[in-house]
Amino acid sequence: MTEAVIQVENISKLYHLGKIGSGSLKRDMQLWWEQHILKHDNPNNYIQNGVKVDNNEAIWALKNINFEIKQGETLGIVGHNGAGKSTLLKILSRIVKPTEGIVRGKGRISSLLEVGTGFHADLTGRENIFISGHILGMKKAEIQNKFDEIVAFSGVEAFIDTPVKRYSSGMYVRLAFAVAAHLEPDILIVDEVLAVGDADFQKKCLGKMNEASSKSGRTVIFVSHNLQAINNLCASTIWLEKGNLKAFGNTKTVINSYLSTVHQKSWKKEFKINEAPGNDFIKVFYVELIPKLVPGSSVIDIRTPLTVKFKFYNQSDNIPLSADLLLFTLSGDCIFDIPSKQTIFNKGVIEGECKIPGNFLNDGSYTFTLHFSKNTSSELFSYKDCLMFDIADYRKNTNWYDKWWGYVRPDFPLELKTVE
Amino acid sequence: MKDRILQKNSDWDWEIKPETSWWQLNFREIFSYKDLIKQLVRKEFLGQYQQTLLGPFWALVQPLLSVIVYVFVFNRVIGVPTSNIPPFLFNLAGLTLWNLFSEIFLQTSRSFAQNADIFSKVYFPRIIVPISALWLQLSLFCIQLFFLILVCSYYYITGGITFNVANFILFIPVIIITAGIGFGGGLIFSVLTSKYRDLLSLIQLVIRLLMFASPVFYSLSLVPPNAKWIVKINPLSSLFEYFRFALLGIGNLELSLLVYSIVFMLILLLLSIMLFNKISDSLIDVL
Repeated sequence: MTEAVIQVENISKLYHLGKIGSGSLKRDMQLWWEQHILKHDNPNNYIQNGVKVDNNEAIWALKNINFEIKQGETLGIVGHNGAGKSTLLKILSRIVKPTEGIVRGKGRISSLLEVGTGFHADLTGRENIFISGHILGMKKAEIQNKFDEIVAFSGVEAFIDTPVKRYSSGMYVRLAFAVAAHLEPDILIVDEVLAVGDADFQKKCLGKMNEASSKSGRTVIFVSHNLQAINNLCASTIWLEKGNLKAFGNTKTVINSYLSTVHQKSWKKEFKINEAPGNDFIKVFYVELIPKLVPGSSVIDIRTPLTVKFKFYNQSDNIPLSADLLLFTLSGDCIFDIPSKQTIFNKGVIEGECKIPGNFLNDGSYTFTLHFSKNTSSELFSYKDCLMFDIADYRKNTNWYDKWWGYVRPDFPLELKTVE
Repeated sequence: MKDRILQKNSDWDWEIKPETSWWQLNFREIFSYKDLIKQLVRKEFLGQYQQTLLGPFWALVQPLLSVIVYVFVFNRVIGVPTSNIPPFLFNLAGLTLWNLFSEIFLQTSRSFAQNADIFSKVYFPRIIVPISALWLQLSLFCIQLFFLILVCSYYYITGGITFNVANFILFIPVIIITAGIGFGGGLIFSVLTSKYRDLLSLIQLVIRLLMFASPVFYSLSLVPPNAKWIVKINPLSSLFEYFRFALLGIGNLELSLLVYSIVFMLILLLLSIMLFNKISDSLIDVL
């Protein structure tokens, strides 16, 4: 049985909102004098509706957190902004003290809460590798051994003796991460650092982290908004919600229940007819995306068949009308444009429906646009970005942990067989 | 069952608890960060003189210019006697030691606030940063001391002064005590200034006043008897006398004053390290 390397027991952290002191000795002394000698009320507390309001309100950034991490385990932490993820990481990395509770651990711990901690802009890349390495807890010999590897990983060989202030921001980040990636602690704590760099570099980083945990048996604690990466790197995951431990366990289960709160449950827009988007020809008053969720999953994933329904009010008689349903990625690339058949309509409510099969779209964020035209040539109305939705990833039997390539992800059969 | 829990507890390498004790100073841990100390000294040194015309010579230019001004003001205009020592040498000696104290004090007291961004991102014993500031200032002092001895040798050769190399042994205690007092005072203020930024300007004022209350430009024997107590309660006073005696063979040495300085330094160091230890951890929340 592998043993626990970190044990977190009843950790709580209290932060004082508002001002902690005034930052000026004169003001603080004045306050102390008034409160303790003259017995005045703290001016930070004011009376509201007869009730004394304490402006120095305290909030629990973390409340009674308990968990254990075993050696070689990779733990993900997810949660909304302000859920206490960073506070937890800072306590684990010994940067801040918990208000209550105790953390016990074994082995050397290194934390990467930011890239380029301790970099000095005036010094060369070479100097900075040493400075940053030492600050992150590496020994001199360790850095010397890995120096070439670090430089190669960062890809800034040609500029290693140039002051880093002349680096492009991409080079800077790559060098900074390269140092961090070659840390060899027993426990590695990584905050959202992967949000930097281009896609290629991110891939390299994720690979490096995967290597650290799976090959070298290192314990990794990883906070990210990239659920994809957590899903593929981490065996178990903690979900923090307003300082409380909402769930702790198998990553798939935790992420699924987390996603179901993040994503909206209904993808539907309905308007009163006079407020509906549109013009003198068309008024769209209802659009809905109806997913047929796969049993056991609470979110739209790549297997989910989708149905789009929309209703609009046609204000002209005897008009040759057609509609197009367009799907865009969030970055603006058009995935498809599905036209309806052209039909002659009179004034009245018209309904449209389109079915998109499961196992067709890749994971990502998408928006629908509805486009109405007369004679299939002149535009009557275009309702841009009428629905926005996310498709979660789903994969099995693969060790590929990175974003799946392609705009679409059809499940066409591809067979391999031995012929000789 | 209880045995098993006890056994388990002793298995852990480290613990993070809400409270820091006053005495918790892990010398072994600090020693394991010696590479970091060296690197921080190097970084500060290189960073300070990057893109400057004179580079490390600034460590000499700054005191040299000050001495010229002080010689003009104190010796030419006011006419402070310097016991047959060339005024330039007399003032340079005083100022060299004074710079050791004031630079250690100022740089140490700034170290915490200046590195707050690193402290909030990565853990290492916080005292590493003041220690590296101390180290850097000591190294710069060595350059200045070397220069001072060169100037002395010049005057010796041209017959202005005589000196006894055997007295140089006195440099060691004097430098240690001066650095110790500067470091201790700096540590206390490093904690205070990160909470109260307005103290930084106060410190500079106090340092300037303290310079005139210390026998930097005058010798202790010149102080009128009724004002002598002011200079005597200043733990730095005897150090200047001993320093000038070691270098130039002048000054009135009072062992009791030196003992007072030593005791003062030890108590200050103890208090300041305890305070730094206790408060530095919780200070990150405030920064």
